[in-house]
Amino acid sequence: MKLHDLQVELGLDNLQTDGLLHRAPAPLRVFLADKRGVAGLLILLLLTVAALGAPWLTEFPPDRMSAMPHLPPDGDHWLGTTRMGKDVFAQLLYGAQASLTVGLLAGALATLIGVFVGMCAGYFGGRLDDVISFIVNVALVIPALPLIIVIASFVDSASPMVIGLVLAATGWGWTARIIRAQTLQIRHKDFILAAQLLNEPWWRILAAHILPNMLSLVVSGFVLTTIYAILAEAGLEFIGLGDPSAVTWGTILFWGQQNSALQVGAWWEILPACFAIMLTGAALVLINFTVDEIANPLLRKRRGEKAVIAYLRKKGLPVND
Amino acid sequence: MRFILRRLGFYCAAFAVALTLNFFIPRLMPGDPAATLFVSLRGRMSQQSLDAMRAAYGFDGSLWDQFVAYVIRLLHGDLGVSTVNFPQPASEMLLYAAGWTLFLVGVATLLSFVVGILFGMLAAWRRGSFFDTLFTPVNVMLNAFTPAVVALLLLYGFALQLEWFPLGRAYNIDLEPGWNMAFMGSVLYHSVLPLASLVIIAIGGWHLSMRNTMINLLNEDYITLARAKGLSGRRILFRYAARNAMLPQITSLALTFGFVLGGALITEVVFNYPGLGKFTLAAIEKRDYAFIQGQLLLLTFTVLLANLIADLLNLLLDPRLRDRSELA
Repeated sequence: MKLHDLQVELGLDNLQTDGLLHRAPAPLRVFLADKRGVAGLLILLLLTVAALGAPWLTEFPPDRMSAMPHLPPDGDHWLGTTRMGKDVFAQLLYGAQASLTVGLLAGALATLIGVFVGMCAGYFGGRLDDVISFIVNVALVIPALPLIIVIASFVDSASPMVIGLVLAATGWGWTARIIRAQTLQIRHKDFILAAQLLNEPWWRILAAHILPNMLSLVVSGFVLTTIYAILAEAGLEFIGLGDPSAVTWGTILFWGQQNSALQVGAWWEILPACFAIMLTGAALVLINFTVDEIANPLLRKRRGEKAVIAYLRKKGLPVND
Repeated sequence: MRFILRRLGFYCAAFAVALTLNFFIPRLMPGDPAATLFVSLRGRMSQQSLDAMRAAYGFDGSLWDQFVAYVIRLLHGDLGVSTVNFPQPASEMLLYAAGWTLFLVGVATLLSFVVGILFGMLAAWRRGSFFDTLFTPVNVMLNAFTPAVVALLLLYGFALQLEWFPLGRAYNIDLEPGWNMAFMGSVLYHSVLPLASLVIIAIGGWHLSMRNTMINLLNEDYITLARAKGLSGRRILFRYAARNAMLPQITSLALTFGFVLGGALITEVVFNYPGLGKFTLAAIEKRDYAFIQGQLLLLTFTVLLANLIADLLNLLLDPRLRDRSELA
């Protein structure tokens, strides 16, 4: 009982009662206990709902003229109109559909390729590993973005999906390298040998025994490639390599820049898309912070550390900080 | 030694791959590559001289002959003639733009490296402090804001609204370029916003990687030993922890420098800065293959060179690697 009193005094009494979370698997518990990850997830969820709910949230079409050009924000057009008289709020919502879909799909595809290639290289080793490692290393040292730009420029006005595919095809290198290194470490563990002795097929060993042991790395790779894909897509479209008639956050910025929106004072044509991209990036970064801590326990915040140290100090015990 | 030779071999192979890609890219285009290449010259030159140029620039004969001719011309430092700014050689334009990019992106890289490393050190040392909990997420989030967004916001705030800085260009065009105070002052003044937009984005990466490396190191036994010896906190921080945590950062600094000549495409577009990124974009729009190929080749070369330098630096700075040269 005395211990409990001390816990109350230090404010540590609510730490071990995670409530419902108590029964959740450990990684999930760590994730949900970190405010940053939960906040990021909530923002992302909100953006997704706004994107999917576009037809109900706005009455205006994103790609057709619906009012006078360059109207400032008012009750009807919440974020004003573009130089072409298109509603900016509608563009933002429908643009979110394209930008988020492309980003998530490209991230997922790149992760899928990277994980598969990395696991095969790490698990089978030998000649296959040599060949794959060489390809990965070459892909990593040859600058990707200029190459993407050149590829994108050959496809005249690339649609968002094409850009996403190009990004996925060039963006799997890092994931593959990290997954390969991790697979190498797991490959010689006893439970893999046991599975091999039981004649389990290689794909089952990879999928059921190796993959679950590096899930946090896979998730982290997915989050990072998604950030990269969303930013790169917006960037490529901004400099005019995308299809200018598609409605995405990147093309909103492209048209804003083309029309010198900022220079003529129509900040509402550009700034909302800027903030939308920033918000998405911030949300994914927050999520990645938490995933990182699951993957690398040393980074994890030590719970209640401050209170304990303060208590020991007060008792006159030597403490390092 | 064997390690270095193996790395050298790898870089040569990678360069060969890049060279081949570079050769095939315009030839994979639908239609006749030579026609696309010289279409902008039509009307300015007779059919005869066009044919002569086709031959001179290696667009006749078998694909293999063309490839050999391409490599031979490269060995002579001949990147071809820019079709946009005809008849300027592409290499001349490349050099001009490379100068501006080297200045802008080089300075930005160094600045963000120094600031980011210091931030990361402090955040790891005073982990969980106000500084760490505020600046670590903020810096990393800034890292996830695309250059387009940051550059546009800076342009809007400081150039359009406050009118503190110019809207674009690298220097005041009324001035004659030269090594005098007025011109260099103008260059500095014009570089503030583009620099700021590049630095703001890049700090977060250095910050986070330095912080995470430091945190892992601070849990090592030798740090505990240093503490037990009663060394001052400052000494442990700088001489023991930070020094070792710098190793991977210096490697990635060398690698980042390889990409400097990639240019800051988006920043250069927003601020109308005459760097490689902006020239490349213009070349892509006008299908100036000589310039695009030259730029890709230059970039690949510097990236590979930077990788080699990073390998050597590591060998130089980390004695552990010298003993086990099998680490590849």
